Order: sequence, then structure tokens, then C-alpha cells
Amino acid sequence: MRRPLAILLGALAAGIAVFAGAFFIAQQVCARRMADPADDLAWLRQEFRLNDAELARIRELHEGYMPKCHEMCAKIMAKKREVDQTLAGAANVTPAAEQKLIELGTLRAQCQLQMLRHFAEVSQAMPHEQGRRYLAEMQRLTLGSHEQIEQSMSGSAGHSHGHK
Amino acid sequence: MNGMNQQQDEARLLALLRESKPTSPLPPRFQENVWRRIECVEVGQPGERRNWLDAFVNLVLRPRLAFAAVAVLVLMGTVLGVREGVQTARHEAQARYVTAVAPDVLR
Repeated sequence: MRRPLAILLGALAAGIAVFAGAFFIAQQVCARRMADPADDLAWLRQEFRLNDAELARIRELHEGYMPKCHEMCAKIMAKKREVDQTLAGAANVTPAAEQKLIELGTLRAQCQLQMLRHFAEVSQAMPHEQGRRYLAEMQRLTLGSHEQIEQSMSGSAGHSHGHK
Repeated sequence: MNGMNQQQDEARLLALLRESKPTSPLPPRFQENVWRRIECVEVGQPGERRNWLDAFVNLVLRPRLAFAAVAVLVLMGTVLGVREGVQTARHEAQARYVTAVAPDVLR
């Protein structure tokens, strides 16, 4: 390779390395400085620009909701184990398995309802516009995944389940 | 008379100096290389391209320009890195909150 071309390519590589290095260091430093792993509510404070009083009220609601949430999760997990045991080794879906599945679905619905009520309470503790935005965002984040699955399984994706 | 002798001596000295001039041997394949260079200049293209590239490298790699380019690259990298870092931190914080309030069994 000719010398000027080699110099030019070397300079280009050095430029790319300088840019990449600056980008990587800035990204890491910024992400680390902004992250607050100790506080679950850090996102709410940043995203919805909450003041101390609003955050304190929301923290109270959050701390009241968390034990209920854990309790409901434990119930769901226990019911799920029962369903697994009932289905294990069975060639058909027995009436007992059907009953357990209905109970599991009911528990999930109750948990979801409790969660949505909590979101509504939190949204009311925020300024009106921010509260609306929070509620929409949380519904998208928690219920949106189901919608995506349902849409992908619906007639538009070519998998009709007989919903005519 | 004396002047004539001096002139003769000088002429002899010059002749002697000319004879004693050291001659170094030419490098191997000297002539061939000279002809190749001449041909290269006559054909024009590679030489021209090389000249163009040399000129460009000389222009681009001036210290002032090189420092300016490095400064711009560092600045651009930092600005974009900070932007990306803010987004990363935001997504991580959001994921932490959603994981806390919406258990996996529901999502």
C-alpha cells in the first residue's frame, strides 16, 4: 500500500477511535450518574417532574401497595403450581384442571385490577396532565404486551380462532 | 616570466584535482530505475494520482486542522454519548419501576 494512503487510512481509523471512545465514556458516565438503583420511584420523579410533596404522597401509596402486590403474586404462583400438578401426566384437560385454570385466571384478573387501581391512585397524586400521561404509559407498559399477543393471534395475522 | 610559471602551475593543479575527484559507483539497476521513473512521468496517471493524494494528505494532516478535527470528534462523541446515556438511564429506571409495580405474572 502506498504511504500517503496508509497515512490517510490511519488518520481515519484514529478519528473513528477518538469518536467511539468519547461516545462510550460519555454514555457510561452519564448512565451511571443518572441511575439511582436504591429508589424504585426515581423514574417517576424524573419523567413526571414531581416535587417533593407529590413524590412523598406517591411513595406512601407505593409502600402501601407493595405488600398487597407481593401477597397476590404469591397466591398466583401457588395456584400456578396447582395447575401444573393437575395437568402433569394427564392426557386430557380434566374438570379439576379446568377449575384450577379458571381460578388462576380469576386471581390474575384480581391482581390486574388491584394494579390498575393503584395506577389510578398514583395518577391522581400527580398534576392533572402528568397523571394522565402516567396512566396511559403504565397501561401501555403493563397491558400492551397482552394486546400485542392478542393482535398477533387474531384474524389479521391469519390465525382465526372462530371469532366471527 | 614568473606569472607564466604560476599560470602553468595552476593549470596543472586543476588537472590534477579533476583527475583525483572521487567517483562513487552507481547503485544497482540505476539506469533501469531512471527509465522507469521517466516512463511513469510520461504516462502521467499513477504519478498524478500520487501527487493528488500527497497534496490531500499534506492538506488534511496539518497540525491545526488535525487538532480541530479531533476536537470536533470528541465534542460530537461526548454530546451523542450523553444523549444515549440519558436514554439508557431513563429506560433502566422505567424498567425498575414497572418490575416493582407490575409483576411478571401479569405481563
